[in-house]
Amino acid sequence: MTFAERMLRIDRRIIFVVIGVCTLLPLLYPVGLPIKISPEVRGVYEYMEALPERSVFLLSLDFDPASKPELHPQAIALLRHAFRKNLRVIAMTLWVSGTGMADQLLTQVAMEMGKEKGKDYVFLGWSPGGTAVIINMGQDLYTAFPSDYGGQPTKGLPVLEGVLSLKDVNYAISLGAGNPGVEAWYVFGKDKYKFELGGGCTGVIAPGLYPLLRSGQINGLIGGLRGAAEYESLIGQKGRAVAGMDAQSATHVAIIVLVIICNIFYFSLRNVARQQGRVHS
Amino acid sequence: MIFLRRQVPLLITMITGLVFAAQYYIPHPASEQLLTSATKWLQIIGGFALVLGVTSLFHQHAAKIRRKEAGWGYSLVLYAGMLGTIAVGLWANGKESIDGAMTVFGWIYSFMMVPLQGTMFAILAFFIASAAYRSFRARSREAAVLLIAAVIVMMGRVPLGEYLIPISGDLSQWILNVLNASVRRAILIGVSLGAVALSFKIIFGVERSYLGGGKE
Repeated sequence: MTFAERMLRIDRRIIFVVIGVCTLLPLLYPVGLPIKISPEVRGVYEYMEALPERSVFLLSLDFDPASKPELHPQAIALLRHAFRKNLRVIAMTLWVSGTGMADQLLTQVAMEMGKEKGKDYVFLGWSPGGTAVIINMGQDLYTAFPSDYGGQPTKGLPVLEGVLSLKDVNYAISLGAGNPGVEAWYVFGKDKYKFELGGGCTGVIAPGLYPLLRSGQINGLIGGLRGAAEYESLIGQKGRAVAGMDAQSATHVAIIVLVIICNIFYFSLRNVARQQGRVHS
Repeated sequence: MIFLRRQVPLLITMITGLVFAAQYYIPHPASEQLLTSATKWLQIIGGFALVLGVTSLFHQHAAKIRRKEAGWGYSLVLYAGMLGTIAVGLWANGKESIDGAMTVFGWIYSFMMVPLQGTMFAILAFFIASAAYRSFRARSREAAVLLIAAVIVMMGRVPLGEYLIPISGDLSQWILNVLNASVRRAILIGVSLGAVALSFKIIFGVERSYLGGGKE
């Protein structure tokens, strides 16, 4: 077996170690490279920034713990921004397995920002029906969620004053890790009930949402950990996303180097095979 | 019996399909009320679907344990996990914390489900890197194009990539906004047209597979 062949059949545990080291070292010794802000993230930030105080901001945390590393920092940055702007926050989830996490996250940020439950924010929790919940909220918010996650009746809550349905929401953002997520909020929500919509998602599904972004169906998109890091930089409160960008940088570069190496060996083997073919013929 | 099993569901499907397709274009209060009632129904049915799903899962794994099929031990773990979580969930009234104190249900969620799901997702990075090394080869012109685009986007999406090759950020944005968006849109339009065609087929009873393949 030649060196190139051996390198192409390298033990995958070596690759695992390389990736592990590339993830761990930047987390232990951060470099802090500057993060360029993309227009899609700026779109969300500028819309939030332009909202007047006490505007109604709906945040749908449509993800489960599997997508926590990417979407949790996005949610924290958005909530910090919304609370700082004194917006009324309505949070909910369309993913049952994300309910507890969403509740913890909202409570933690609200406490940090000194906000009062029921007056400044409400967590509606999860309701069965998937996308039907969005339509139901568009028709009548109180039918879809007669009580909040804590069991308190939603009717009469100061935070929901003047809010009857999705038509009364000034800005909604879905942080989606799949379906139902951003696309469902556009198809079943914004299209019919005419509120402004932004999106946040994992890096993997971000390319699939660019058609919605380009056509203005969503006014901005926060994609993956990079998007979260950009948003953290915009609000001036650097957190886990910015800290994780060095690790992601190193891992991306490591994968690119590995792919280049594998292609060099692949072509060298192909050339040898061709030359041998010529000799034999 | 055939009338009840075939014609009646077909008739319900056709009437409901046509009524709700028309409802979208009629902004009358009665039409809106109809939609409100229907979505309330949908939410209730959604709740039942959840119960049905859990019951079906129980049945499937109970059979596996009874017959001692390959991997029946995993089914036992699933059974124990599910029954245990349901029991503590009911005990805690579905709450992760009561008056600030974490319940057992909350503990299972925070210290078992969250880290387990996070771990499953995190190990993907290692497998993707290994898979990329083994299979991401420029075997053809198409594969080479894909490879170059992937490298540019990967470089352009991280600060280190933009630092090493400053143009990669703008190139990556262009690939995502122009090439990717247009191709995705074409796929989306195709899928949507297919969905419209399928909906018509279901509404008018041409497509009947949703009725099941039982004996008539």
